[in-house]
Amino acid sequence: MKSAEVILGAPTGLHARPASELVKLVKGLEGSRVTITCGERSVNAASMLSLLSLGIKSGTSLTVSVDGGEEDAALEAVTGFIESIKE
Amino acid sequence: MIVSGPAVVWRRNASQGAVRSFDEAFAIVRADLAALAAGNPVFSAHLEMLDDTMLCDAVQEGISSGLAPLDALDAARDGIVAMFEGIDDEYLKARADDVRDVFGRLREAMAGEASGGVEQMPRGSILVAEELLPSDTTRLDFKSLGGILCHKGSSTSHVCIISRAKGVPIQVGVDISGISEGDTVQVDDPLAGCLQSIASRARASGLKVYVNAANLDEIRSGIEAGAEGVGIFRTEFLFLNRSSVPSREEHAAIYKEALLSCGGRPLALRTMDIGGDKQLPYLPVQAEDNPFLGLRGIRFSLLHTHIFIPQLEGALDAARSVRDIHPEWFEGGSPLHLIIPMVSCAVEILQVRDILGWLAPDYRSLLELGIMIETPAAVLDAPALAAESDFFSVGTNDLTQYIMAADRGEAAVAYLYDSFAPAVFKALQLTVAAAHDAKIPVGICGEMASDPRATGILIDLGFDSLSLSRLEPIQ
Repeated sequence: MKSAEVILGAPTGLHARPASELVKLVKGLEGSRVTITCGERSVNAASMLSLLSLGIKSGTSLTVSVDGGEEDAALEAVTGFIESIKE
Repeated sequence: MIVSGPAVVWRRNASQGAVRSFDEAFAIVRADLAALAAGNPVFSAHLEMLDDTMLCDAVQEGISSGLAPLDALDAARDGIVAMFEGIDDEYLKARADDVRDVFGRLREAMAGEASGGVEQMPRGSILVAEELLPSDTTRLDFKSLGGILCHKGSSTSHVCIISRAKGVPIQVGVDISGISEGDTVQVDDPLAGCLQSIASRARASGLKVYVNAANLDEIRSGIEAGAEGVGIFRTEFLFLNRSSVPSREEHAAIYKEALLSCGGRPLALRTMDIGGDKQLPYLPVQAEDNPFLGLRGIRFSLLHTHIFIPQLEGALDAARSVRDIHPEWFEGGSPLHLIIPMVSCAVEILQVRDILGWLAPDYRSLLELGIMIETPAAVLDAPALAAESDFFSVGTNDLTQYIMAADRGEAAVAYLYDSFAPAVFKALQLTVAAAHDAKIPVGICGEMASDPRATGILIDLGFDSLSLSRLEPIQ
């Protein structure tokens, strides 16, 4: 398993549209299970409801963990996407 | 307007046990939502929720722990709703309604509740319901409905907006517990059915009656119902829910169709009114502390000219190609009127004129250029703005909010948000006087134009046109 920390820069927090794009990205990563941890809660990043339920605010530090598949590439893709969310 | 008719009582979850398994219900709901999602972002979000692993997992978990399938469904719904309602973010809290709606569909499919009753109602029936969700409204046959009585909901809820837009009176907050099927019931909706009488009164006093539109269908139905033109054509639909900047060609195609639908009658096209409260995926903007005083309307357009210029080019192209087909429509001046939103000083109008002149030196023969009067600055400097404008259009919703410095969504100060306040009345007087001194027409759009209590006042003030939220076809 590989993991990395990333900070959500989106000014209004994680909202439905970027969350749904993140879910699409994660579902496309074959063989990898992606978990996002915010504070004490960890959720499956392939579930938009779970992601939204974290209520992630701007500037929050998240831990992304990838288990299985192309772990390094998947981790880079997911953290890169979260960093790029601007809306 | 008060209507009465036989009650048709609609109860959700009429049957006790499940007649379909969760998997069967899931397949039915998925197919329904997939069909609805094609044209509607609300339902595509619902489809995404349905496909979410969390939803299925939660229900399956309940079933495997021994709950009856319907109870497992309810438990899963309650858990997910509670999770959203617990989030400290108004936007995310509101998603709980979407979750309820998706679960409501699943429950109906599992319980086998027939919605056929709603479709086979006799004409003129009054639908009586505890609550109507957005998904329910898509299945109602509004043509046969005489009215709706609803216990839950506010007068600004989704079902009220849809119902009034379809011309069906609706009353919410009614205790429906004592009503049985077939009882004669009354619906009292002061906002329904009065638009045609506003139109008649205004016409009798020599005012033009226009219609507001936010898409091509609304233009067509308004003209069909007798509107003398479109008083405001909101173009935001072209910019939202997409991932790239709309092209000149896309604008031109829509505006040409709009002009042709108007058949030579004026079409007042409002240029994009985008601001900090609306996010465009192709233009990351900084969230503002106070979007209503921030970068919106013409301020936004002049900063982001790569989005604004294709809109202006599209409008000019549409006017040119319609003029080629119908040169007679342009004889007394172009039917295409461009309205600039959120103007607060004359320089903004001059900047738009500069851009138009650069795009088309002969633009004055292709379109007229007017402004929205919706800021106190525009009212106070109206004579200077009138000198640069071909017409004025007063947007009473924003004007009232800015003059009274009161957000109508803020319950504690909503009493100040009053288009009948003396200060707003004086603003309207100043605006009309400045327009008429400059010999340009002044119209009014916004909710006040569609409020029967205001009609007499607006006629007396000297407005040249009213633009109504919609027009019912003459029966």
